Amino acid sequence: MEKMLRNKKALLVFMLPAFLLFTLVLFIPIIQSVYYSLCDYKGMTKPVFIGFDNYKNLLHDKTFGIALKNSMFFLVFSCVSQLLVGLIYAAILTNIKKGRNLFKNIIYLPCVLSSAALGLLWLFIFGPKLGINQLLIKWGVENPPLWLMSTKGTIPLPMWMIAFVSLWQFVGQSMMLYMAQISGISKSLMEASYIDGCTKPMTFRYITLPLIKPMVATAMSLNAIGSLKFFDLIWNMTTGGPNHKTEVLATHLYQQFKYFKYGYASAIGVVLLILCLLVTLFINKVVKTEQYEM
Amino acid sequence: MSYSKVYKAESDLTSKKKISGIQIALYVFLILICLTYILPLLWVLNVSFKTNKEIFTAPFALPEKISFENYSIAWTAGKLGISTLNSFIICIVTLVLSSLIGSMAAFAIARLRWKGAKLAMTYFLTGMMIPVHCVLIPLFTRFSKLGLSNSLLGLILPYLTCSLPITIFIMTGFFKGLPNELIECACMEGANIFQIFFKICLPLSKTGLFVTGLMTFVGNWNELLMAMVFISDDAKKTLPVALSKFVGPHATNYSQMFAAIVIALIPTIVVYCAFSNKIVDGLTAGAVKG
Repeated sequence: MEKMLRNKKALLVFMLPAFLLFTLVLFIPIIQSVYYSLCDYKGMTKPVFIGFDNYKNLLHDKTFGIALKNSMFFLVFSCVSQLLVGLIYAAILTNIKKGRNLFKNIIYLPCVLSSAALGLLWLFIFGPKLGINQLLIKWGVENPPLWLMSTKGTIPLPMWMIAFVSLWQFVGQSMMLYMAQISGISKSLMEASYIDGCTKPMTFRYITLPLIKPMVATAMSLNAIGSLKFFDLIWNMTTGGPNHKTEVLATHLYQQFKYFKYGYASAIGVVLLILCLLVTLFINKVVKTEQYEM
Repeated sequence: MSYSKVYKAESDLTSKKKISGIQIALYVFLILICLTYILPLLWVLNVSFKTNKEIFTAPFALPEKISFENYSIAWTAGKLGISTLNSFIICIVTLVLSSLIGSMAAFAIARLRWKGAKLAMTYFLTGMMIPVHCVLIPLFTRFSKLGLSNSLLGLILPYLTCSLPITIFIMTGFFKGLPNELIECACMEGANIFQIFFKICLPLSKTGLFVTGLMTFVGNWNELLMAMVFISDDAKKTLPVALSKFVGPHATNYSQMFAAIVIALIPTIVVYCAFSNKIVDGLTAGAVKG
């Protein structure tokens, strides 16, 4: 048996397809992308090496500034809000007796639906003519807000709407992860804490929270990467508008790609990649603590 | 500490207590939350049956008569039929290939004895952190040189690669959980490594396969960015792309656009309703294992 499991030929057969695909379709293109980001490359012509000029241009690009700011806002907002709301939902759902599965399934439902379609759905709900504003006018509100058109403020209203819609869509995911972890905590620990005189909130604070900390790191890194990659919903709700106010890195990259600025778009991609890696490292350093035996 | 407190704690744990005010408040809160999930979907369904005029004269009433005209117009004018077919082909092929290739690699990492197993796992897991955006442009230029842009294969390849990390991650957990004796026993009976993989390990990890399969299917079914970049030919578009093209803020055929949104949402809702408990359980199993 030992000999069979050490068989190099079998190893090759099992590993090769995945390894080849991964290297050819993911890792080599990344290196290429880093190279393109150092080049003047506009589609038809061959890439010409120009050093860090693309990155220097990024610094002067106003839209890139807005996109970076929005992406950071989106990152922080989704990490914090998903953590809080996800935990609250999980805590409530583990504390009710009946209908837990029903509520869980309903809250998780939008996670499997297409962000593109849901983005369009919310576009109409917050649109100027249909949806919420029809309701507001019917109730006698004179000038209902232009939910997705306003440009005022550092973080304009449309960006907040997008952030809330994405929270609405994806909070089920965090909730599920936390619920899985909470249901893994042994009943005897809870019982012991009750016998020692803890109330339910105290148990949650001193038993549940420390024990689900590893999951917080996992869920948070998933959220962080997801929010940096976020594209579908924003593209279909605002297309980065009005006046580039809701542009994020992903949409900005796509816009530049459409104008054949390949080198420039690659530079944005590299910034995005570095951000993803940094954020994951940071979260795992800060949040992850020792694992408890459960 | 007083006895009464202990008694109360005990009764909390064991006996059925009366429904307290807090419980009622929790239920009310939950029902309100769930309404925010259900009402938008019902609204879009409701509007999709109306005529354009009705949407503005009676926005919240039920439609006067149920007709599927909007749907048939959306289906043909939006070219949703062909794009649904494309989405199905791409997702099924990706699903089958990624399950097979991913679980093969997972088996090698979890069960075969070699030095690089841990390193290989890290290699695949970094794939989860990498945003696809930064490989779009090199892939796009490469694919157009190879004649793969505007073809379904050109979309299947990146989808497949992006589905591999999560498949490998979850399946490795399942394969590691299988008892050693099982494999030893099969080995004694004279099975070779491929028989062990296909006849013993794979069938025993059905739950994992099911979960990863669904996750890759749903993920690829909903993917928009890569599909927009790699496909520009109308006949090769996937459903999200065709939908985004047909539905827009500046068009005015509202009722048909709503019908198109419903068409795009229905398949996943049906799949979810059919398997929701399994999906939810499987996801948690996968998550805890990780």
